[in-house]
Amino acid sequence: MRQLEKIEYKPIPVSELLLELKNLSELMIDLAYSAALFNDKELAEDVLELESHIDYMTYLLDIEIMIAARDAKDAETLIGVSTVASAADKISDAAADIAAIVTRKIGIHPIIGEIFEKVEERLMKATVKKDSIIIGKEIVELDLAARIGVDIIAIRRNKDWILDPNETEKIFLGDTLITRGAPLGIKEFKNLAEAKIKKWSTKSDEKKSRSV
Amino acid sequence: MKKNQEVFEEIVQRFVELKNTSELMIDLAYSSLMLNSAELAEEVQHLEEHMDELHTEFELLALTSNFKKEEASGFLGLIRLGVATEKIADAAAEMAEVVLRGIEPHPVLKIAIREAEETVTQAYVTNNSPLVDKTLKEARVHEDTGMWILAIRRNNKSLRPKPYTKILPGDVIIASGYSEGASDLRKLASPEKME
Repeated sequence: MRQLEKIEYKPIPVSELLLELKNLSELMIDLAYSAALFNDKELAEDVLELESHIDYMTYLLDIEIMIAARDAKDAETLIGVSTVASAADKISDAAADIAAIVTRKIGIHPIIGEIFEKVEERLMKATVKKDSIIIGKEIVELDLAARIGVDIIAIRRNKDWILDPNETEKIFLGDTLITRGAPLGIKEFKNLAEAKIKKWSTKSDEKKSRSV
Repeated sequence: MKKNQEVFEEIVQRFVELKNTSELMIDLAYSSLMLNSAELAEEVQHLEEHMDELHTEFELLALTSNFKKEEASGFLGLIRLGVATEKIADAAAEMAEVVLRGIEPHPVLKIAIREAEETVTQAYVTNNSPLVDKTLKEARVHEDTGMWILAIRRNNKSLRPKPYTKILPGDVIIASGYSEGASDLRKLASPEKME
């Protein structure tokens, strides 16, 4: 029989748990597809780890919900919260299923991965090449979300993956980056990372002043 | 070999459609919760049925593609990817059911969805918006704001966005993307109104 870890109750606000569940479950989908299509075992294993963290959070959230219900009306609206949390949990399960394709060595036909990279518009892998203007920059300085609608979801450096990197993380030569976001934006970013272009098409402060 | 390549391309196209539909469903489901909108929730339910059809077609195509014995494992992986998209779509449909039950969703859901990294938003199109009378293709909302248009609400109906859909004053645009883009979109849709 599988021993499940005893979960200690911690009073984390429900809104925080939900927020984290939403963010993490969506991140996991993108990471899992990336792992499967780029056939990356380490990334797939990281996704499986995140999955158990989601289980933990869903469990905590259910405890909180039960504590919070004072009457039938309360309970009814809280069931909605629990349903949404369990749906996010199911999404993360699906991501884990995708990751398992890689960890169980079933794999996906290599040609599929190749074609996928051409047709998929939301996910992209890029390796930082010499002379790229993003080398040495912190993620926050690149201002990707505001500038081109792109987010770096994972960085591979020296065989390890850094998932959902901090804003202060710096980009190094040789890093492999997985990005998601707007189709044009990720294309531009790939070209910048691979030093095929040396200039942004939009300046981030220009864009800000325009929108004010 | 060439023929093989074509079959693979078709399979991948179908898979990308499954993937995109399931992700659209998640966004729409969160939107329906945030806006307590039964129309959007119903749209999710419709898409769920559509997913079932797409998924069956995809599986049939994969199974009839004459792969070689040594390729079987790679095809099994592909079929499992399809199953995962279906699971994601089902989860989105469950979220939408919360709205369809007719009870106002708990406020904590709204807070969490609004504050998430990828959020959903609605933007009211005013007369003076540069978007008015443009087709979605011309409006280039995604290029300019990074926001995906999920649906347009007009006269209490929810329209699925097509490239030639024209944006009219009074439309409510429902979109998903990074929160940075959400305020850009709202300013584009109703220029005089500041956040």
